[in-house]
Order: sequence, then structure tokens, then C-alpha cells
Amino acid sequence: MKLLLNLVRKDFKRNRVITTALAVFLILSALLMAGGLRVAGIMISSLNGLNELAVPPEYLQMHKGTYDEEAFQNFVETHDYIKDSQIVKMLDIRNANIIYQSETLENCLMDNGFVIQNEGFDLLLNMDNEIAVVQDGEIGVPVYYAEELGIQVGDVITLHEGDYRKELSVSAIIRDASMNAALTSSKRFLISQADLNEISLHMGVWEYCFEFLLEDGSSTAVLEKDYIDAGMPSNGVAVTGSLLSMLNNLSHGLVAFIIIAISILLIMIAVLCLSYIIRATMAEENYTIGEMKAIGFPGKAIEKLYQMKYIILVLLAGVIGYLAAIPFGDFFSSSVIMYCGYGTGEWMKWLFPFIGVILLSLIVMLGCRRIIRRNLKSTVMELMRGEEKIKREGHYSLPSAGLKHRNLTIACGELKCKWKEYAVIFFVFIFSSFLILLPMNMKNTIENPSFITYMGVAECDIRIDIQYSEKLAEQKDAVQSYLENDSEIEKYAIYRNGYVQLQNADGEWEYIRVESGDESVFPLEYLEGNAPDDSKEMALSYLNASELGKEVGDSLRVTYQGEELLFTVCGIYQDITYGGKTGKAAIDFEENDVEVYIIYLDVYDGVAIEEKTDKLRSILTDSKITPNSEFVSQTLGGISDNMSLVEGAAIVISLLLIVLITVMILQLITAREHSAIAIKKAIGFANRDIRIQFGIQILMIQFVAIVVGTVLANFLGEVIFGWMLSFMGVSKITMLVEPVTAYLLCPAAQLLVVFITVIVGTKVVRNYHIRDQIIE
Amino acid sequence: MIKVEQISKSFKDTQILHDISFEIKKGDFVAVMGPSGSGKSTLLYSISGMDSISDGRVLFEEINISEMQEDELSGFRLTKMGFVFQNAQMLKNLSVFDNITLPGLVAKKQSADDIRKRASGLMKRMEIEGIEERDIREVSGGQLQRASICRAMINNPEILFLDEPTGALNSGATDQVLAILEDLNRDGMTIMTVTHDQRVAAKARKVIYIRDGQIAASKEFSVCADRERELDEWLKGFLVFDSVSN
Repeated sequence: MKLLLNLVRKDFKRNRVITTALAVFLILSALLMAGGLRVAGIMISSLNGLNELAVPPEYLQMHKGTYDEEAFQNFVETHDYIKDSQIVKMLDIRNANIIYQSETLENCLMDNGFVIQNEGFDLLLNMDNEIAVVQDGEIGVPVYYAEELGIQVGDVITLHEGDYRKELSVSAIIRDASMNAALTSSKRFLISQADLNEISLHMGVWEYCFEFLLEDGSSTAVLEKDYIDAGMPSNGVAVTGSLLSMLNNLSHGLVAFIIIAISILLIMIAVLCLSYIIRATMAEENYTIGEMKAIGFPGKAIEKLYQMKYIILVLLAGVIGYLAAIPFGDFFSSSVIMYCGYGTGEWMKWLFPFIGVILLSLIVMLGCRRIIRRNLKSTVMELMRGEEKIKREGHYSLPSAGLKHRNLTIACGELKCKWKEYAVIFFVFIFSSFLILLPMNMKNTIENPSFITYMGVAECDIRIDIQYSEKLAEQKDAVQSYLENDSEIEKYAIYRNGYVQLQNADGEWEYIRVESGDESVFPLEYLEGNAPDDSKEMALSYLNASELGKEVGDSLRVTYQGEELLFTVCGIYQDITYGGKTGKAAIDFEENDVEVYIIYLDVYDGVAIEEKTDKLRSILTDSKITPNSEFVSQTLGGISDNMSLVEGAAIVISLLLIVLITVMILQLITAREHSAIAIKKAIGFANRDIRIQFGIQILMIQFVAIVVGTVLANFLGEVIFGWMLSFMGVSKITMLVEPVTAYLLCPAAQLLVVFITVIVGTKVVRNYHIRDQIIE
Repeated sequence: MIKVEQISKSFKDTQILHDISFEIKKGDFVAVMGPSGSGKSTLLYSISGMDSISDGRVLFEEINISEMQEDELSGFRLTKMGFVFQNAQMLKNLSVFDNITLPGLVAKKQSADDIRKRASGLMKRMEIEGIEERDIREVSGGQLQRASICRAMINNPEILFLDEPTGALNSGATDQVLAILEDLNRDGMTIMTVTHDQRVAAKARKVIYIRDGQIAASKEFSVCADRERELDEWLKGFLVFDSVSN
């Protein structure tokens, strides 16, 4: 054993660069494997933990206006599948009346409600995931605002309405299992009962959440139907628990998914590289192995000797990778930890990466053993002559017209013969380019205002939401009459949103949200078909159509106010709002059934959208007015921020990867080509020429790889991104690419990094000399 | 043509060449002999500028090549010198013919057509026609060594350096190579070779015997029929000494 360790130590000393590069590669693989699994472990633990501790409702119906509490209690008692229920009183306060650091929350898209702590379930937790308790004069602020506005414990939130002012000191940051996600449009502030009573005397509108927990195996669809059929209060949004968890999971899961996907891809590349490196280094060792066999070293002992080196390396890399994965994983989990806490299964973040590192180590060790055993099968003479190497390469011809560009001609010719040697680096370059561009393109797409088209809405400048009021129609009329006379408004359209019942594939009736209005003013791009033209047509969102099994041209049974209507599906569009299940049809909703009026408008060119928004906000004080771009960025804010982190990490990892692989490949190839290098030098090529030839080969390969990677990022990226978003209701997404960055800056940066690496990595050419080829 | 003035070379603490001086005149055929490890090949590479020297200077037609930069030297070697090594060192991915023409195409002293014609002519002279398009692994050692000489001659160099040119050849191939070298020298080509082989040295007009990095002796031989025997006599003393020392 001591002898083996001594030999390994000497081998490390002799092949310092390759061994170091191999070690870095193994560490990177272990880090990514462990890091990705740590993120997954933390995410699962966090989301599960929050749900276990906070117990969010499985069905939630918002309601504004009066209601009959006795009827509600009767409903609960007469339905056995309801395990528990509660009515949460929420005081909605307009964003313009909430002040933080002298600024109102008017620019925020969220609807803000003030509540007291619940008793049974749907609990609001503090940052230690304990049930949050606030005293009089204190307030618990949703973690969303802590992240977005930087609100901290000790800060002051002021509520004001006319002469009334109430200052509340922030005593807790609140995790809300139901409304945590940026994708959820409501947020809850926790205050004391006394403060709630006091504030409600001066400001706000009461809204009620009718919340349910169901017995195991019960369906929310059944409850939803029974609830509406029983005429229970329903002036507001109804949300299922699964939709809430999906929104929560999406906000954090999308990023974790991307990291894990990147990690898996990187590990595949790492294993490919390792296998190449081990084969290449073993090929260099063939002569020594041959010598050992010649003097009678047993095969097992040789196998042990070479395996020992890789076992030591992989174990070392595993330990370092595992330890480095702790800050790496925590960095990428910071968002989910912030929003959900560490959860109840913290063991997962330790065990998952451990299993990952062990698996990686096993893969490497088994791979090594296989390659070493294969090499040992050769005879002594085959090993010493390096016959295997000779068989593979082909020929190239020098051009008959002469060598106008000698280095270019020779580089291309050799590349033609030795392209197999560059296959790994080619794939790594493709992968790096893909890895840099994919998150970048995704982020660009998400941040682009045209992303609104995936929210079931056509592009517009500003949207106005009129909801949660008992005087919706009056408000709508007031807004309309203003818009009619505003010369800066180019066009606008009013859409009414309400619910109808629709027969699903199982023949059951389900409620879906339908938008009704003139679809021609702001035409939406349809996946299939067109917008509804007349009262007999209905367009369905992609998720709705998929679940109902409907295609364009199919008929659809719908009931509204007890009357059965027959529609034809005229089009299918993409929508990630309301759980992706919406419809568009010319349904003449009665005023009482309208849940929300949404007005989309465009301003004339030259009118500043931000300024116009501020002006409208000051005039139409009862409505929520949001620029389109802000609507998208706030709705997808969390995802976009996390994507920035992923984008940064992807760039760093990719560049590190290309530097590493270039150094390693150059080391291996120059070592393999030492004879050719020495011959070229002997017949009159300068060191510079040979270095240029290597540079041309590597950069040519990289150039092609970047083109392939960019094309893949565009086309395959759309498929991947579309697949990720398909859970939200998007099936086909067009990746929006920022051309200067994607097609110029990124390739240039990658080529520059490799160019510099080649300059450094080919210095070794100076050391090869013809005299070393000659056995005296 | 070449003046070697007190050159020394050391590597780490080992002195490989020590204070060596001699001259090679145009048309000379110089053979360097000596026991293994005596520094013969190092001397050849130092004179040809392929290896650096620690002290002294090498003047090639009055140009001090010891002071040249690497890139300048490689251009100089390409056009002024030809090299032949013990194991015919050729590029695996080129055919025999392309290996021969490559230095010519790189040097661009002649047109591509002229280079091809010259290569064909040299191959004919070396009697290796018909192997032009063959892979270097598909020809015999003797053919390959003759192809190496063709490559060395492609730019019509002023001097031909050979390092053990027959070391890896059988007796028949050695004879062929020796005949070519003699022929080339007769045509005026300056040749310097390092060799163990007395048959090779016997073709030289001047033999330098190196021991422990120093010139132990040197002798110019007259053109006579029995030069091999004369050389044998001269070498006897050194060989006995070296075998006793070893």
C-alpha cells in the first residue's frame, strides 16, 4: 500500500497540470451534483414544511359584500367531506393608503388585506416558521414586500385615510402558505384584533375568505360545484389549494428546476470529459503499463495502481464538492428559504447531495476500471508501440497551389484527421454556449412586455382593473366616460369577467372564468383558430382545452343562470393567469355576476406610459391602474430575479468550464502530438506557428460549436421553456432574443476566453524538441 | 562555412559540452563519433541552432546564429539547413510526398510546381519513386530514411545535418543511404553527421571524436580507397580506452 501511495504521489508530481485540471473537473461535477440536489432537497423540505406548519386551505372563496353566516354553517354541516372550515375577515386597504418610507404602495400590483391570525388552519408564520403573533401597534408584513421593498422588522408602516393616520411597527415578516407567491395577486398583513377593529372604523372594505379543508380523497371540484349550487357567497375569486401550491412551487420550482437541469447536463458533460481524460491519460501511460507487464507486474497490481490515483482524486473531489455545495446550494435556495423557511425535512439537504456524490464517485470509479481493464488486455508490444493510436488517424493532402496560409491549411488538414480528438471539447463548447444563452433568453422573454400575450391578453400599454366593489358598474362607467374624452388615449376596450359552468370530459359541471368583450380591439395571438366572432363561439385557454379534450370546431355545453348554451370552440390561446384555465366568449353577464372589469388601453405615440399611469391613478382613484410592463414584471418578479441569479451562475460556470476543458485538451493533445510538434520545429516551423495551428483548430471548433449552441438555445430552448411553462398554461413559446448580447457579445466573450487560454495553454510547445524523439 | 567557437552547454549542474571549437568548410563531410552520452547529438543540435548553448558562439557564414531569436532561427533552418534523424521523423497525417514537399511549400523559395518537380526529382534520385501517395507506415525503414533525405534537400540547403542516419536501418538500407550521402557530397553538399557507425564515418573527410563533452581528437582523411581501414586504425585507441573506462 505504501508503495502504491508513493507511486501515486510521484504520478501526481509528474502530471501536475492534467491532475489538477482533472481534480478541478471532478470537484466541479461533485459540486454541481451535490449543489443541484441540495437545492432540490431544500426546496422540497421548505415547501412541504411550510404547508405542514401553516396548513393552507384546500379551497378558498373570496367574497365582498354581505353574507348569511348561518347558511354557511348549515352548508358545512350538511357536507361530510368538509373536514374543517373558517371565515377569514380581511380588511382590504387601497395601496394608495399604505405608506412605507414616505411612499405609498400605489405602484404595487398586489391587493393588500389586513387580517388577524387564524386559529384552526391557514396560519401566518414568522421567519422562524412559528405562528406569528403581533401586539397592538404592531404589524406582520408579507415576505413578498420584505423582498421587493426591503421592509425590515422595526420599520414603520403608516395607514392613512383623510385625517386618520395609524402607524404600525413591523414586528414580524410573514410567510403565508396561501398567498406567498408573486404570482398570487393578493397579500395579507397581520395585525392585532384591536387594531383591525380600529382601522376598519376609518378605512378599508371588508372582504371574506371562506376556507375549507377536505377529508382525504375528496375533490375540490365537487365542493366548488356544491358551493355555488347552494348559492353560497361567491363575489370574488375561488382558488383551489392545488392552484395555490402550484403558484408557490412555480415561483421557486422553476429556478430549482433550471439549476437541476443544468446540473444534470453538466454532469453528463463532466462524465464524458472524465472518460476522455482518463482514456487519454491512460493512452499516455501505455508504454509504462507495457513495461510493467514486461517485467512481470501482475495485472491486478497495475489495475490497483492506476485506480488508486482516480479513487484518491474522486474521493477528494467528492468531499470538496460536497462541502462547496453547502454555500452554493444555499445561495440558489435563498429565495425559497426566505419565502418558506428551512422546512421540516432538513435531512434532505444533507442526504440528497451525499447520495449524489457517492453515485458520481461510483460512476467515475467504474468508468476508470473499465478503461484500465480494457488497456490491460493489450499485449506488451501493442502497449509499447502504441498501436491503437496509430490505427485511428487519416490523411490530408497539401493543396497543389501551395501554402498561401500555411498555418490555416495545416490546422484544417490536421483537424480533418484528428476531429475525433476534439469531439469532447466540441460538445463542451456547444453546451457552454447553450448554457449561457438559455437562461439569458428565458430572462429576456420573461422580462419583455410582450410576455403578456402568454397571460391571455394582447399587448397594450396600460390595464385598469375594477373589482372588489359593490358598485363595479358605476366605477366602470366613470372610467369609460373619462377615457372617452381623453385625447391621449388611442384606443381602449372593456372586458367583463365572470364565471359560467362548463361540462368537463367526465360529464361533470365545472366553473370557469370567462372574459367577454370586443376581442378585435386588442387581438391576441391564438395557438389555433381565432377569437370568438359571435355569441355562438368560445375560445378556450390551452390548459382548459387540454383538460376538456376540446379542439377547434368541437362543441361545448355551458350553463349560465340555469340556461344551457351551446358554443363552438373557435380558438385556443395561451394563458398563465387563473391557473391557466380561462375562456373568452360573448356572454352577456349580468352586472351582479361581473367579478371584475378589465380595461386595456393604448396611448398615442409620444405619450409617456409612466406619466399617463400616474395621471390616471390620480384621477381614477378607485381603480387599479398598472402599466403593462409593470404587470408582467411584478407578476413574474420573483421568477425574473431568480433567473438573473441563474443567468449569472450559468455564465460563470460555462466560462470556467471552457477554460478548464481547453487547458486539459491542450495539455493532452500537445502531449500526444509531441512527436509531430518536434518534427515541425525541426523542419522549420516556429513555436509561434505551431501555437497558431492549435489556436486555429480550437477556435474553429468553438466557432462552429457556438453556432450550434446558439441555434439549439433558440429552438431547443423554446421547447424546454415551453415545457416548463406548460404546467402554467403555455404550450408554445417564442423565445425573445436580445441579438447584440446573444449573437455578438456572448460569442465574443467565449472566443476571447478561449483565445487567452490557448495563448497560455500552448506555451508548452516550447518544451518539445526533436532530440527527445530520438533514442540514442 | 560554419565556425564553432568555444561552445559550452550545461544543463542544471551537468556540463554536456565543454569549450568545443572547430570549423566546417563548404563541401566538407564531417562525422562526429564518440561513446553514448558523450554529447555528439547535443553538439549537432547546438551547431544547427536547434538547441541553445551556454557559452561560445556558432557563426554560419559569419552570422552568429547563437544570438538569433527562436522564430528567426526556425526560418534560417528552413532555408539554409536540412535535417535527417535516426528514426525517420515524419508527420503521420501526410503522405510521403507531402512530407517531402512541406518544408518547400512553407519556405516559398520556389513555386509550388517547382517544389513538386524537385521532390519528384529527388525521389527519383533516391530511387523511391512510386511511394509518393503512400502512408509513412506503409513503406520500409530504408525508403523512409531516403524520403527524409529528400525532405532535407527540398529547399536546396547549404548544409545537411544527420543524426545517426543509419541507426535504425538494416545493412542493405544502410548501403543505399551511404551511397546517396556520398553522391550528395560529391555534388558539393556540406554534410555533418553524428554516428556510431564506422561505415558512415568512413565516408567523411573529417572525423571528430567526442568524449565527455570535449573533442578528444579530430582527423582529416585523404581521399583513398582504404579510408575505412585508416579510420579503423585511428579509432582503435579511443575504442579501447572507452571500453576500459566504461
